[in-house]
Amino acid sequence: MSVPVLSFPDRSVAPRPGTVRPFEFPPVVSSSIPNGLGLKVARMNRLPLVTVSVVLNAGEALLPDATGGLAVLTGQALEGGSNRLTGPELAEALEDIGTGLSVHTGWDSTTISLTCLAERMEEAVALLAEDLLQPAFPPKEVSRFRNQRLAAIHQRRMDPGSLAEDAAAHFFFSDHVPYHRPLAGTAESVGGMGPEEVRAFANTHFRPAGAGLVVVGDVEVSEVEELARSYFGDWNGAPAVGGGFEAAPRFRERRILVVDRPGSVQSEIRIGQVGVPRSTPHFFPLQLFNTVLGGAFTSRLMLNLREEQGFTYGIRSRFAFRRSAGPFHVSTAVATEVTAPAVSHALAEVEGLIEGGPTQQEVERARDFIVGVFPLHLETTGQVAARIGELLVYDLPDDFFATYRDQIRSVQLQDVLRAGQEVLRPREMVIVVVGEADAIRGPLEELGVGPVEVVLPQDLVGGPAGTVPSEDLHGGPAEAGSPPPVP
Amino acid sequence: MVVLNVPVERHRLSNGLRVNLSPDSTTPIVGVNLWYAVGSRNEGPGLTGLAHLFEHMMFQGSVNVPKNRHFELIESAGGSLNASTWFDRTNYYDTVPSHQLELALWLESDRMGWMIPAMTDEKLHNQQEVVKNERKERYDNQPYGDWDERILALVFPPSHPYHHPVIGSMEDIGGATLEDMAEFSRTFYVPNNAVLTLAGDFEPERTLGLVDRYFGEIPTGPPVPPLPGIVDIPPVMGTTVREEVVDDVPLPRVYLAARVPSFPSDGFQTARVAATVLGSGKASRLYRSLVRDKALAKDVLTYVFPLEVSASLLLLWVTGYPGEDPGRLERALLEEVEGLASVSQEELDRAVAMTETRLLREIQQVGERADLLSMFDQIFDDPARLNSEVERVRSVTRVQVEGFASEFLGPDNQALLTYVPGGAS
Repeated sequence: MSVPVLSFPDRSVAPRPGTVRPFEFPPVVSSSIPNGLGLKVARMNRLPLVTVSVVLNAGEALLPDATGGLAVLTGQALEGGSNRLTGPELAEALEDIGTGLSVHTGWDSTTISLTCLAERMEEAVALLAEDLLQPAFPPKEVSRFRNQRLAAIHQRRMDPGSLAEDAAAHFFFSDHVPYHRPLAGTAESVGGMGPEEVRAFANTHFRPAGAGLVVVGDVEVSEVEELARSYFGDWNGAPAVGGGFEAAPRFRERRILVVDRPGSVQSEIRIGQVGVPRSTPHFFPLQLFNTVLGGAFTSRLMLNLREEQGFTYGIRSRFAFRRSAGPFHVSTAVATEVTAPAVSHALAEVEGLIEGGPTQQEVERARDFIVGVFPLHLETTGQVAARIGELLVYDLPDDFFATYRDQIRSVQLQDVLRAGQEVLRPREMVIVVVGEADAIRGPLEELGVGPVEVVLPQDLVGGPAGTVPSEDLHGGPAEAGSPPPVP
Repeated sequence: MVVLNVPVERHRLSNGLRVNLSPDSTTPIVGVNLWYAVGSRNEGPGLTGLAHLFEHMMFQGSVNVPKNRHFELIESAGGSLNASTWFDRTNYYDTVPSHQLELALWLESDRMGWMIPAMTDEKLHNQQEVVKNERKERYDNQPYGDWDERILALVFPPSHPYHHPVIGSMEDIGGATLEDMAEFSRTFYVPNNAVLTLAGDFEPERTLGLVDRYFGEIPTGPPVPPLPGIVDIPPVMGTTVREEVVDDVPLPRVYLAARVPSFPSDGFQTARVAATVLGSGKASRLYRSLVRDKALAKDVLTYVFPLEVSASLLLLWVTGYPGEDPGRLERALLEEVEGLASVSQEELDRAVAMTETRLLREIQQVGERADLLSMFDQIFDDPARLNSEVERVRSVTRVQVEGFASEFLGPDNQALLTYVPGGAS
């Protein structure tokens, strides 16, 4: 087909935007059934799909170190089937209708979800409910799941990125804080788990009071209420409630911990500390702070360490918001020979933003970015269901996402500056580097940013490595946000 | 059962650029997607990794867009952007709020038509360092990181364009020059070698005018040269090839790869269905047998590469537990592969059901929808083929899958790559 030829544009200037078209987060309709199970429904009907999630107050943070990983294992063990259907029968029944269960266990919750054709919703919900309410946890299957977890733990030790994540958590948090251990537990804690422990955890924590059923897609609210009563109505009880805790840091002075990984051609670097809980009043300013620092491609860290220095393929910063204070950290992987300069540049960016704050232009760009990309992450029923799940877990109002962009738009430069300075403590930043210790220790010591200690991966398993306090200054903040895209 | 009806209007500009418009006003965003029919397959000797390095240079600015400005403009417009390079193509994709569509068209057209004069040695050197780090991060510092390099070398002969991985060798990445880049651009980044697809919230007629306004003055390039090397290879390898790697890996792992019919050929869907029956999902044979019943494997994975030229590659991988004998893993894997000589209709029905849901889930996002339409246009000259994809999977029969297994998954067409823990680095 031929095309009408218009005049060619003046290419030297960027085109002006057109008229903004409105976007609304799908309205959330809430109700509950008598056993205390909350229902949250949002309608998205462009395609005949539905996402169904059950959000349980059954996160890893409820558990002491000795049983760390039990929530993850129990979630996985749902794959073992129900009292009526064996594991393979359950898998076939789900896949026959084009779906499957996915279980996600975090620090604050366990979520069991599926996405299916709308016409298959009732069958799918029936299977999900049966598995959750009458799980079989066959001993042979549970020991397989345990062995899979143990093998995965072993793999993490040899994967430099995972090792750096685990080492950072360990060195950021005090031993009294569950967050200091890997989410899925350690070989010691998981090794002894069997069907008894799994069954006990499910009995105690997979309960309807305070839990939520989230349904998003091509569905009517009345349908969901009927489904909930039919398939979850006989479920009862309230989960054991875990005490909150103060997420105390391990160290009060800055230091560098090198986790030796001989043969590494890159160093995995994490710079950070204990951040703030999800309930922080600085939540929105921190979104902007992090976008400016390391939450977008044009963040300060990316422009410096990648686009100017060529030290890395990518670098980002992030606040992990949890019920108690999760970590803030900068993460990157750099060539071994530039490890020390990369740490120095990253620290300087972090400190610079905390101390000097962002520029007005950076604040405006970050606002436009966060407000603009908001609908981009809400295209699928799964994405929207995940956001609605957060309303339940963090006790947020139903209109939280409807007003999210207005909240971001109202953040001022001073708010961002204050948030960074109140939340982050540059002098207490902990720097974890996984790499070839022989090659990087000397240059890191020469930086003079803090004492350097070399530890071995196996030292991280049980308890803390012995560390000596030191002194120094610098610091770095960061913010929450999505990872920068990396072409 | 669901009938897909993703709308698509096809156009072609006078310079040869193919344009697909797929309007949908549900959300006020637009996916802007460009497929260039160039990838690692087009790289000659000594130039491995060039297509990917060039993709990085595409973000370094063009005549009217200074370095970093492309990212700044898209991000402050509230958009997201990225690109990826593969064997047969390089795709660039932006998702932007619909009122910023014109911005994305301006940026994409500027780097299609006006990039060469803006490239400098400084930018090239910077991106060579970035890409070397990408290679280190993904390949050299990663347990099993070199598996695809090894598998490709086993399945495709040295003279074939799929013999080397997309990332290229460290030496070639470091050796590329500005002239290599300019030559690459003149040869491949021309409107007659590209597909532009827009999916989302826009008004088609006006938008087509805008597309022509921004891309229309870019001159048609010369015909794209034939692929380097020898693309004509037998449909199967002719023998079993093996490689064992003792390395610093946590767990034993066996990869099995086979040459299978190419993406555009009729047998490709059969290969996909066979792979799904074997190892996709928890009801699949490999999962059920190796992971669940025998508990030999910690995980299994299957994938069929949709490769366009001469043959595709079917891949199975099985990771064992610590201390597991890789020979035992391999035997268990091969037993299941042999078992594919007989499949049930229930298994095929399940594969159809899984495909249907997966495809619907993917096309919820304008970016994915645009990417699929570009792909079907480039490979099949038919973007609307997206709408009949599930039907094609549904039409695969038991006889076809069983025939496929005997023709393509026997000992005359197996590449076996084994990683054994134990390297002392």
